Amino acid sequence: MSKKENKNESGSAESAGECTAGDTKDDKGLGLGVIFFILAFVICFLSGTLLFPKLLYSKKEQPFNFNHELHVGETGDCESCHAIREDGSFNGIPKLAKCQECHTETPLGETEDEAVFTEMYVAKEKEVPWYVYSRQPDCVFFSHAAHTKTEGMDCVTCHGPIGTSTNLKPYEENRITGYSREIWGQNIWGIKKHSWDRMKMDDCAECHKKETGHQGYCFQCHK
Amino acid sequence: MNKIENKAHKFGMVIDLDKCTGCGSCMVSCMSENNVPFKEDESNKKDSITWMRVYKLTNGKSFPDTEIVYLPRPCQHCGGKGDHGHSPCVSVCPATATDYGYDTGIVSQIYTRCFGCRYCMGACPYHARYFNWWDPKWPEGMEKYLSPDVSPRMRGVVEKCSFCFHRYQAAKDKAYYDGRDDIEEDEYQTACTTACPSGAIVFGDLNNPAHRVHEIVKPDPHPWPNNPNVVGKSRNPNVFRLLERLGTNPKVYYLSEREWVRKAGDNYLDGEWDKIKNHHGSESHG
Amino acid sequence: MKVDRRSFLGLGLGAVAGFSVSPVLLKLTDDSSIWTQNWPWTPVPVDGEVSYENSVCSLCPGSCGISVRKIDDRPVKIEGLDEYPINNGGACLHGISGLQYLYDPARVKSPLKKNGDKFEEISWDDAISVIAGKLNDIRTAGSPEKFVCIADKDRGSVPELFKRFLKTFGSSNFYTMPGFESYLKLTAEAMHGKGMTIGFDLENSDFVLSFGAGIIEGWGSPVSCFKANASRKEREAKLYQIEPRLSNTAAGADKWLPIKPGTEADLALGICSFILKHNLYAATAAVRFKGGLNKFAAQLQNDYSLSKTSEITGIKESEIEEIATLFAKAKMPIAVFGKGKGDASQSLKEFIAVQTLNCLMDNINKKGGVFIQPVKTYLEFPEETLDDVAKEGNEKPRLGQYVHDLFEKINTSSQPVVDTLFVYQSNPCYALHDTKTIKQAVGKIPFVVSFSSFLDETAKEADIILPVHTFIERLEDVPSGAGLSKTVVGLSKPVVKPVFNTKLPGDILLLLAKALDGTVAENFAWESYDECLETVAKNIWDSLFQDGYAILEEGVPEESVEVNVAFLTGNPSSIQATGDGELMLIPIDNMRLPSAAPAASPFSIKTVSDEVLKGRDTVVEINPKTAKGLKNYDYVALTTPVGTAKVMIHLNEGIMPGVVGMVKGLGHSFDNKYVSNKGVNINELIGPVIEPGSGLDAAFGVKAKISKA
Repeated sequence: MSKKENKNESGSAESAGECTAGDTKDDKGLGLGVIFFILAFVICFLSGTLLFPKLLYSKKEQPFNFNHELHVGETGDCESCHAIREDGSFNGIPKLAKCQECHTETPLGETEDEAVFTEMYVAKEKEVPWYVYSRQPDCVFFSHAAHTKTEGMDCVTCHGPIGTSTNLKPYEENRITGYSREIWGQNIWGIKKHSWDRMKMDDCAECHKKETGHQGYCFQCHK
Repeated sequence: MNKIENKAHKFGMVIDLDKCTGCGSCMVSCMSENNVPFKEDESNKKDSITWMRVYKLTNGKSFPDTEIVYLPRPCQHCGGKGDHGHSPCVSVCPATATDYGYDTGIVSQIYTRCFGCRYCMGACPYHARYFNWWDPKWPEGMEKYLSPDVSPRMRGVVEKCSFCFHRYQAAKDKAYYDGRDDIEEDEYQTACTTACPSGAIVFGDLNNPAHRVHEIVKPDPHPWPNNPNVVGKSRNPNVFRLLERLGTNPKVYYLSEREWVRKAGDNYLDGEWDKIKNHHGSESHG
Repeated sequence: MKVDRRSFLGLGLGAVAGFSVSPVLLKLTDDSSIWTQNWPWTPVPVDGEVSYENSVCSLCPGSCGISVRKIDDRPVKIEGLDEYPINNGGACLHGISGLQYLYDPARVKSPLKKNGDKFEEISWDDAISVIAGKLNDIRTAGSPEKFVCIADKDRGSVPELFKRFLKTFGSSNFYTMPGFESYLKLTAEAMHGKGMTIGFDLENSDFVLSFGAGIIEGWGSPVSCFKANASRKEREAKLYQIEPRLSNTAAGADKWLPIKPGTEADLALGICSFILKHNLYAATAAVRFKGGLNKFAAQLQNDYSLSKTSEITGIKESEIEEIATLFAKAKMPIAVFGKGKGDASQSLKEFIAVQTLNCLMDNINKKGGVFIQPVKTYLEFPEETLDDVAKEGNEKPRLGQYVHDLFEKINTSSQPVVDTLFVYQSNPCYALHDTKTIKQAVGKIPFVVSFSSFLDETAKEADIILPVHTFIERLEDVPSGAGLSKTVVGLSKPVVKPVFNTKLPGDILLLLAKALDGTVAENFAWESYDECLETVAKNIWDSLFQDGYAILEEGVPEESVEVNVAFLTGNPSSIQATGDGELMLIPIDNMRLPSAAPAASPFSIKTVSDEVLKGRDTVVEINPKTAKGLKNYDYVALTTPVGTAKVMIHLNEGIMPGVVGMVKGLGHSFDNKYVSNKGVNINELIGPVIEPGSGLDAAFGVKAKISKA
């Protein structure tokens, strides 16, 4: 016990001695702390901003590439494939049967992707297991009819200019939630430049508040 | 802003207890429609989840003067005191997992938002809310019949009758598609209503005088003189609500020609019933 | 450079600060909260296009039209079909639960063969060849009559195919489980002539006097009855219910008259006697009665005076007078029979006594009355070709008149009287009285084949189980019966592809027939059951296929009907309950529990009250006066001459003192934790009581004792 006390005493004496010995030393210690602080801050901040999203999302390739621009050109609009059914519900990603209205087992074009499509799916009568960028959790109800049909909103407002794309970007799945990155948005801060950059509840509420004067009641969008 | 949202509906129900046979169709139709799970033992009714429950009431008399009546009880979708939307459950929810839809009069329940404190269950005077003590499990393969219109729940959340809100959404979608600005009475009917083989349940908009529910209930637009918190009291002498004098203002009404049945809808002190039984709202506004 | 404590502090703080102002915390908070909302084991139902398919439910004789909602190919909800001639939109809880039968993992998923105590899967080919081998052996041995079949009903193309199979094989031993429809035919045959049946126009009657018929307990065609009952209020029609217990029907009736169990026939005859004595019967009625009314009236005056009737039935004289007068004065009264659901054990004397009341009021073949007309046939099968073995076999006498006689015969004979038994969609080992002796009889049969979707009590006793499609997967004609005022044939359509390796019963018979020797195969020359149905139902096929149903008979029949009460003038004695206990145990039919095959679904079990089923115990009802200090949920031992069961009791003011009421439909013993091993099967406590004159099992109850357990 006495030994320990002695050690402590001498320790404190030493540091006290150092303190009194010169201010430069003290400054240096603080300076080192600040440097470490800044270093750690920068590393963590950067990794939180740049590396974290890479870890959070796993990239998945679509079964094959799909050229929206080409198809919009051929069919004229989005609704030819993504249509509202007669009962007012939305068909989402069209089923194989819809594709087969044009595509047969003989490819229409010469792309490798179409070859995959006809060989793997059309010939085998198998549905294409697309990853859906805009798929919302099960608790969400969304009426396309209310937005596009009654209010005349453009698909682009929420889905962006996907209709003019020639390639399907990789699907990024959040490892924690299992949902698409598109819901939170590409920007890890959740900052959006366009109306289609994010699809979170707050984004719905924001627009509803602006357009209808009220963000809506729970059941309007939840089931 | 679309017109369907604009019109304030007040969806409600009137159940004819003289027609109800206690057959249980409404309960099963509700369970099947709303993905309500089941367990090995459902005979402990306290933890048996039944959004729609059929209670059996007796007149308390001894053989052979006994009478029975069955009383189906969905969520009462209370308008709260003065019918301002402060339903007992909504008022106590710390998570905003349940709210009052002023456009429909329907009290919501959002399972993903609920964290299971069960305040709402304590607040509900009608035992209409149920807690998921266990994760719902369907026997292997049976999850194939689950409907995508209603989210299956998880352990630790409260659930209750939604007046089949998804049917309202579907009816609205159809109206949007057709370019109509409102839905018809028969387009939105709850699963219990359509299943009832006796036609004992009538569902519709209590704000719409053309709807059958309005015709039967004849809700009084003015507060009840005996208790200003009570709004929408029926002007039909055979119609009553459960625990009406609490001022919870349920949107589920009951109909019976039998006095003992109407009396069973509330608790009365000695002699109180005789004083109260002939007050059926203000007649002047008929 | 010296790295000291401060540097570490700086490092730590820097890291915390760095992460704090980076999006990590914000994003992780959001993501983890979403994670807690989506457990991987919570199913996410797949969305798709909604469509509706119409079909017909064949779970009970009700034959209601159903509309099945599908998401893409997946049925998700069954509802009543609007504008269907029987149920017009409504549905009962069992039909709505239909998808639980379809997807039940406890279904028989492929053909099974018993090996020792266990079943093992075999292929369809093997199953067919094993059965065909056995059947060929019977024919070779020259005793085709030892091949017996029990089916759930005898109308429709599938029962007809079974009958044809038996006949061309050489056996007349086709039996059906007791059902309301067969009782109606039996009563009509005894009173009005061969080939006749009875229907009740309940929806247009203004006074229904029900002798225990559970009009809203699943009697007849349940949904149709619910509708007729519900419209009473608007039509100002009255319902008087006579039964020992305040059933739901009694509770909904305008008046409930508690009666001593088993004396319904006496009350009906007492009312007949009163009506005859006071000349209250319709003037036009007398001419219908074969041999006139005088002799019958005199007999009744003697046997059933008011005081005597009152003494037998326990109903006050004034009340008998009142109901007799009301019944006679009503514009269009109907007296209905068939206690409970109208199936199970019933007494022909009771049926005839009640039907005599209808005949006295001459409400026969009038709107709002009782419709008596020939049974409508709609199927045309080609003439059978029989070989010598078949001809000989068909000439041999049947083993018994009814299905309970068959089992009695098997149990009492020293020689094996049955070699092979087919059981189609019925569960005698559960549903017949004294199940122990039934199981014993089934055990004595060398080869039993069960055609069943479920591994029920009878299937468990079988040597081979051939799994059949459930009604949702089936193509089949579904004729209505069950006492309706009209005859409708519905078409059950396959709404979904078979979930398991099952077959249509008709197709199984075609396969079996083709594997048999002799002329059986040539009598089953169709390629498939589909083709067979289209051919034999050709007269109504267009309407069946396009509308989903065909109406064979609607409106008031024009037949002029004779009335024969010879059965009653023969003075048959009344049924007495067996045993010497001071209490009378009676079965209770509950709408929420099916009393025979198939067993309840998990949903329907869930709706059952805790005054009926508590945990694994059946709760029986007794009047507090009978309770003698017992309290609610006390355990008692309930003993009858047939068996003993441990049950809980519930005090009910709505049951007659001295009577114990026990629900039917519980106590299944197969492997399904949601619906089985719950409560007691009442058929283990009641034995058959054979009615003299008719040969029916007419046990209405049994004497019982209770003692605190």
